[in-house]
Amino acid sequence: MKKFNSKLIIPGAMAVLALSYSCKDYLNRTPVGSLNTIILANKAGVDGLLIGAYSLLDGTYSGQQGNTWMTGTDNWIYGSVAADDAHKGSTPDDQGPAGDIEAYIATSGNGYLDPKWRAMFAGVQRANDVLRELPLVKDGSVSAAYAKEVTAEARFLRAFYQFDLAKLWRNVPYADETVTYDNGNFAIGNPGPVWDKIEADLIAAMADLPATQAEKGRVNKYAAEAFLAKAYMFDHQYAKAQPLLADLINNGVTSSGARYETGFVKHHFADNFNALTKNNQEGVFVIQASVHDGSNGDNGASGGTLNFPSAGPATCCGFFQPSFSFANAFKVDATTGLPLLDTYNDSDIKNDQGIGAGDAFTPYTGTLDPRIDWSIGRRGIPYLDWGIMPGQSWARDQLDGGPYVPIKNTYYQAAQASTSETYEGWAPNQSVANGYNAIRYADVLLWAAEVEIEIGSLDKAQGYVNEVRDRAADQTGWVHTYIDNAKPLGGFTNTPAANYKVGYYGAYAGTNGGTSNPTMGFTAQGKDFARKAVQFERRIELGMEGHRFFDLQRWDGRFGGPMGAGFMATQLNGYLNHEIHVPGFPSDLLNKAHFVQGRSELFPIPISQISLTNGAIKQNEGYN
Amino acid sequence: MLLCCMISSLVVTAQTKHTGKVIGSDDKQPVVGASVRIKGTNTGAVTDVNGEFNLSLSSGNVLVVSYLTYQTKEVTVQGDQYITISLEPANTTLNEVVVTGYQTQRKKDISGAVATVDVTAAKVIPTSSAESLLQGQAAGVTVVESGAPGMGANVFVRGISNFGNSSPLYVVDGVQQGDMRDVNPNDIESISVLKDAGATAIYGVGGGNGVVVITTKKGKQGKTRFTYDAYYGTQRPLGGNPYGVLSSDNFAKLLYQIQPANPLLNGGPQFFDYGYQAGTNVPNSPKGVANAGDPNVDPAKYVLDPNNSANDYQIQKFVKGAGTDWFHALFKPAPMQSHTVSASGANDKNNYYFSLNYLNQQGTLIDTYYKRYQARINSNFSITSGIRVGENLSVYYTESPQGGAGVGGANIPGGNQSEGNSVSYSYRMQPEIPVYDIKGNYGGTWAGLTQLGNAVNPVATQNQQKQDFSRNWVIDGSTYGEIDFLKHFTVKSMVGVNITNYFYNNTGDNPYYSGEGHAIDNNFNTGAGYYSNYNWTNTLQYNQIFGKHSIKAFAGFEAKDALSRTMSAQVNKLFSLDPAYVSIDNGDVKSVIAHGGPGQEYSTLSFFGRLDYIYNDRYILGATIRRDGYSAFFPGRQWGTFPSLSLAWRMSQEDFFKGISWLQDLKLRGSYGTSGFNQNVGGGNAYSSFAPNFGGASYAINGAINSAIGGFYAKQIGNKKTTWETDKIANVGIDASLFNHLDVTAEWFTKTNSNLLDVIVLPATVGGASAPVVNAAEIQNKGVEFSATYHGKIGSDVGFSAGANITSYKNKVTKIASASGYEDKNFQRQNDALARAQVGHPLGEFYGYEVTGYWNTQAEIDAANANAAAKSGKAGTQYQNGNNSGGESLGDFRYRDINGDGVITDADRTFIGNPNPKFTYGINLSATYKGFDIATVLYGSYGGKIYNYTKYWYDFGDTFAGNKSNDLLFNSWTPSNPNAATPKAAAVGSFGTSGSVNSWYVENGSFLKMRSLTLGYTFAANMLKSVGVDKLHIYVQGVNLFTATKYKGLDPELQAVDSNGLGTDIGAYPNNEKRFIFGVNLSF
Repeated sequence: MKKFNSKLIIPGAMAVLALSYSCKDYLNRTPVGSLNTIILANKAGVDGLLIGAYSLLDGTYSGQQGNTWMTGTDNWIYGSVAADDAHKGSTPDDQGPAGDIEAYIATSGNGYLDPKWRAMFAGVQRANDVLRELPLVKDGSVSAAYAKEVTAEARFLRAFYQFDLAKLWRNVPYADETVTYDNGNFAIGNPGPVWDKIEADLIAAMADLPATQAEKGRVNKYAAEAFLAKAYMFDHQYAKAQPLLADLINNGVTSSGARYETGFVKHHFADNFNALTKNNQEGVFVIQASVHDGSNGDNGASGGTLNFPSAGPATCCGFFQPSFSFANAFKVDATTGLPLLDTYNDSDIKNDQGIGAGDAFTPYTGTLDPRIDWSIGRRGIPYLDWGIMPGQSWARDQLDGGPYVPIKNTYYQAAQASTSETYEGWAPNQSVANGYNAIRYADVLLWAAEVEIEIGSLDKAQGYVNEVRDRAADQTGWVHTYIDNAKPLGGFTNTPAANYKVGYYGAYAGTNGGTSNPTMGFTAQGKDFARKAVQFERRIELGMEGHRFFDLQRWDGRFGGPMGAGFMATQLNGYLNHEIHVPGFPSDLLNKAHFVQGRSELFPIPISQISLTNGAIKQNEGYN
Repeated sequence: MLLCCMISSLVVTAQTKHTGKVIGSDDKQPVVGASVRIKGTNTGAVTDVNGEFNLSLSSGNVLVVSYLTYQTKEVTVQGDQYITISLEPANTTLNEVVVTGYQTQRKKDISGAVATVDVTAAKVIPTSSAESLLQGQAAGVTVVESGAPGMGANVFVRGISNFGNSSPLYVVDGVQQGDMRDVNPNDIESISVLKDAGATAIYGVGGGNGVVVITTKKGKQGKTRFTYDAYYGTQRPLGGNPYGVLSSDNFAKLLYQIQPANPLLNGGPQFFDYGYQAGTNVPNSPKGVANAGDPNVDPAKYVLDPNNSANDYQIQKFVKGAGTDWFHALFKPAPMQSHTVSASGANDKNNYYFSLNYLNQQGTLIDTYYKRYQARINSNFSITSGIRVGENLSVYYTESPQGGAGVGGANIPGGNQSEGNSVSYSYRMQPEIPVYDIKGNYGGTWAGLTQLGNAVNPVATQNQQKQDFSRNWVIDGSTYGEIDFLKHFTVKSMVGVNITNYFYNNTGDNPYYSGEGHAIDNNFNTGAGYYSNYNWTNTLQYNQIFGKHSIKAFAGFEAKDALSRTMSAQVNKLFSLDPAYVSIDNGDVKSVIAHGGPGQEYSTLSFFGRLDYIYNDRYILGATIRRDGYSAFFPGRQWGTFPSLSLAWRMSQEDFFKGISWLQDLKLRGSYGTSGFNQNVGGGNAYSSFAPNFGGASYAINGAINSAIGGFYAKQIGNKKTTWETDKIANVGIDASLFNHLDVTAEWFTKTNSNLLDVIVLPATVGGASAPVVNAAEIQNKGVEFSATYHGKIGSDVGFSAGANITSYKNKVTKIASASGYEDKNFQRQNDALARAQVGHPLGEFYGYEVTGYWNTQAEIDAANANAAAKSGKAGTQYQNGNNSGGESLGDFRYRDINGDGVITDADRTFIGNPNPKFTYGINLSATYKGFDIATVLYGSYGGKIYNYTKYWYDFGDTFAGNKSNDLLFNSWTPSNPNAATPKAAAVGSFGTSGSVNSWYVENGSFLKMRSLTLGYTFAANMLKSVGVDKLHIYVQGVNLFTATKYKGLDPELQAVDSNGLGTDIGAYPNNEKRFIFGVNLSF
């Protein structure tokens, strides 16, 4: 072996060391697999951020706290379970915090509220990301006109998320695009309602949005206008809402340019709850959902993931079970075909509470509004094309949730393959492509009716309500019996599945053969009756769609509604009192429930947000 | 100082120049610094770095040669010009060579806190994860093991230092890595644990959590040596009814008592005979329960269609009487074995060590295992005088059933399992549910009703893993070149690497046996990944002794780099799950989901140096400094400097101690310095970033039902100010060697970890992007450590040794940056977090309501409510209703009104138990008599509390349907049983029962385990010689023969749920199962 001269090697080693010193770039390891505001500073980047802002419309996002069913903008828990539409369902121990919300005993530490609050502010900031990125685009790829429209869409989305916050909590912080981590200005307080800011965003959006869009899911001018009207409804500014609603009724079109459908001749009530017929002429603003799109079920209608019967179309999870009172609301007078506004809850329509799946059962034979069987899955009635709803075996736990199961968010068996997907590997067929109708045309008509009652014409109001009822009267849109009960996929007869009847208020011709009731007109019966009738119509038309709690809140006098203070408490405590006295329905949860006037109209602000802002956020009244 | 050193040297009067060398008889290595004195004179010399001395001597002079750790020897000078003096070691460990940061030091020369592990004692415990070797073997090191095969242990050096990764840095043969799980214990030569800044600061930004330095074996001088070390044993599952759950008949009784209308019950406290359920294609999809003879349970109807669950018609027969023993359906005796063969040897210049290892630990949890095949080659060559090269290389392959993401390792369901895993299912499955249905397919929660619960048959889950696997190929190793020059200098350059390649296959059946999942499609997922890191280390070392001055110094430069790549994909609806068929291509192509991409690359640049100066063998100074730059921080925050200074005084060298014959050594040490930690931050943390995400940022903007348009979302908020964690450690230690047999070390330390990296929760208004990791908090650990070992002999036949060590630390959060002043951690199913990190309290301390008993009489309730009404001024106010929680009722927990306002609200929560043990301790005892040897290792932990969350599942009538405890049926609250184990048995829960995090769950987690008891026999050498065998030792061993504890769950030794979930039992794989082992050690 050649003898090394160590004196040669040592300097060599030193040289290597010295060389290493010069590796200045050695520590330069910028993040991989992500984008920054520089890469995004072009039209495609802005478009992508805008899609990202839309994608939170379902209320869920990557890395969110809690679960999708806590944050969905369908507001099944906050809008429907917390009101009188439905029970939480499932078993008492499952989703306990949701039970606390149902029973008005949710505290500021409730496990649902913080995720919901966070999800909506995540949406707000995604919209702000678009607004912050736009000025950084210097490459000429975004025209002034396009920037204007993108700004309008982003402001609409920001308003949407702030609106959802305002509905639950009323006194919420408002975060515009100047609020960032780097600016250190994110610990925002909640000195009061932010309707003015929401309205300003919507006014701006409405001004710059086109009437139609190339893509059905993109917001248009009229959707912004409808939300602005809705904001005015919550803000009790009927005079401002009135012209907007009139414009919508007279001129409104969907994003794809279809005229909002007066008379509803082209589609049925049930089409609003079917993935294959969504975005129809009633879709003022539909939150899009898709399945089998590579997202492992994440883009489905996320809020309702648990809201399926525990057998039948799905195998889990048995949440969101319509209440006895809600079912009773569909009772109609056998002669007039009109709802029993004051007496509907005096007795329960016949149901199979406590009756085994194997025992004989004949459904209720009295007259019902046909919308009941598109709103409630009940025993003995065809459940879409899944067969006759068999009762107890589909209800996860009758003792806790009652005999009814949800249906509006369910898909058809025939379309199961294309409209449903397993959600994140564990909830089979519970991610669905049904869109959620944030605002549908019936909403617009019924707001218009409310406005007319308050500051306009009772006749006009009656007309709007009858327009909605006329659609319900369309027999082709009713639930019909199967040709063969054993083959539910084999089609339907023309025989109604139950004893349906629809009547109109006052003298009304209608197009679908409902009963005209000249003596039951709004003018004849007076303003109070008219209010009650419109409110009841909203209940049965829009039940199980996450609106009821906020409608009651809007009508209650606490924040200026027409029904006077205590209205909501009376309504909901009456509801509770009814439910707990249903024979064979021991729901212990509802037994301890009590709606506290002056407190329960709003949800408690998450305690975590109060402490994270060092108290800048103040708690709503009555909570600690 | 150098000058000063050079001057001092002993001067002698010349007679005849003699040169000599002093060596140790044990290792044949030169003894540096030995005193060589001519008897009766003051003339003498001190040996130099080569052990040599020069003296002018006359024939007949008697030399007195002394060195601390050797017995003093007198040698009469003969005519030889060159004298070699061999010293017999004294019975102390002071001369032990200890591997410290980048160098070796004799134990007596160490000024920092370094614990050495007695590898011989440690490796007797059969383990598939080498971290376990540290348990109870080193003061200052807390090790929490899992019984799951291949599951690494939680190792904390001097307490838990931070909110994230609290593991020490492992340095294996100079290569820095994240764990030591797969180092073959038989290959380990030594393990040292560096604890104080004096020892760890040399690792700078990597050393903050302590450093474990492992060296593997080298060949030893002499003939080629072959060894065979093997053991085979059986692991026995826990016996009895470890969770204390009900038999089937008793469970029916309980249901009948609390829920008489439960549809599972056949009119009284007994179950129906059968359960059945049909898929949606069966008319009316019937499901329910029935007795024999009912047409619904006619076996002729039975269908199980693996390709379409809608056609299924399943029937299962409920088990009455004792019911199904789910625990023992899951846990079965399992074998464990390990075989290592090695060959090693050395000559003057070269040495080598070669070993092969096969390890196979089957888990007692069925269908779990960890297998490892490993080869190691270590070799060192002196190419020429002063130039050496060498390498250490370990190549291994591991296999385990369950794969998963996660670099370099199988994701074995180990430590603490969640509610969705098999251990938890053992109590979540009701006893009347059979393991198999009437046709031999799996039974489960599918048939019948919701009341069966939503647990998944765990036997099915485990069995399904039979064809799952995770395979890892790993190369760990280093190679170096080293040159001595200019007599006192050595330059060394080393490149170390760790390269991991892994892939895994998981298949999932259609879980037809699951209540919630029986329509889920079968699926297959597979993934692969690559991980590599290297460190390139260059050091320049200088050693010189000038008379009484010994100087050791080195300077180094190091570059480290780590990167990873992953790919995984998943597909549903495969025609068959045959292992030969499953592939991503063979499923429903529309369901394919793929993930993958480059991982962040991390790099570190470092410059460091150390000086050890010893004067007169008694005053020791060690100083280190390291400067590190780390890529994950923003430029400007990347570089940190970590200095330390340590001083030691070997008092026993002083004259005033000289006369004390029983004191061989006494050293007082002190150190102060800093090190850092940088692992709890990702590479993108400094930068705000956006990303696409198909689930979270795409939207069907065009209204389609089967496609969505991709978009971007704000993924991460960046923080440019984030920088490393800084650990300041002050340490005082005493080492003593007494009575020639006893070594004692005691340490006191304070360790303040500031700038801790953690994500501070931000208000929602900042948006949904991940909050950045910031320097958020400070934690202080203060502690005391003590260890003692004693080696003794009685006569010539009996030898014995005893070692004990104790580790005690107090952990306290001293700063936290969040606006609220605390961070809630450790969330389970109960509404609130179980733990709260708050200033003044230890990390992981449980936080909730304090239970003072039960509400025993209506009078108590009335009195409390009256007081509540009086204090609040509102009539009707209830004591336990402060948060609208429904008030209290008889048999509920009574919570303490901490703030005295008369009502129980959130504000009445308090700290209810500290999971950090007051101390942990280990005891090793061994004795030999002639050929026999006996040894035991005991390990204990005292004073830590456990939050036994498993009770939430089985001690309440209202929590998820599943089996319940004997306590709930036989010892729950009733008016006549006020001192009950559980609140009243009821089908409905409340804030006063299952609805709160409270002190009732908190149990004493102290334990003492006999980790092993070994009885061995070494055959006499003369017997073996004829067959060519040098040594033959056989042994039998019992592992975990006893665990003394008051804890009611399976095992009080609990791995952290996450870094913040200490001492929480959410269904842990026990680590106290008995094992019986037979082993052999053979060398020839």
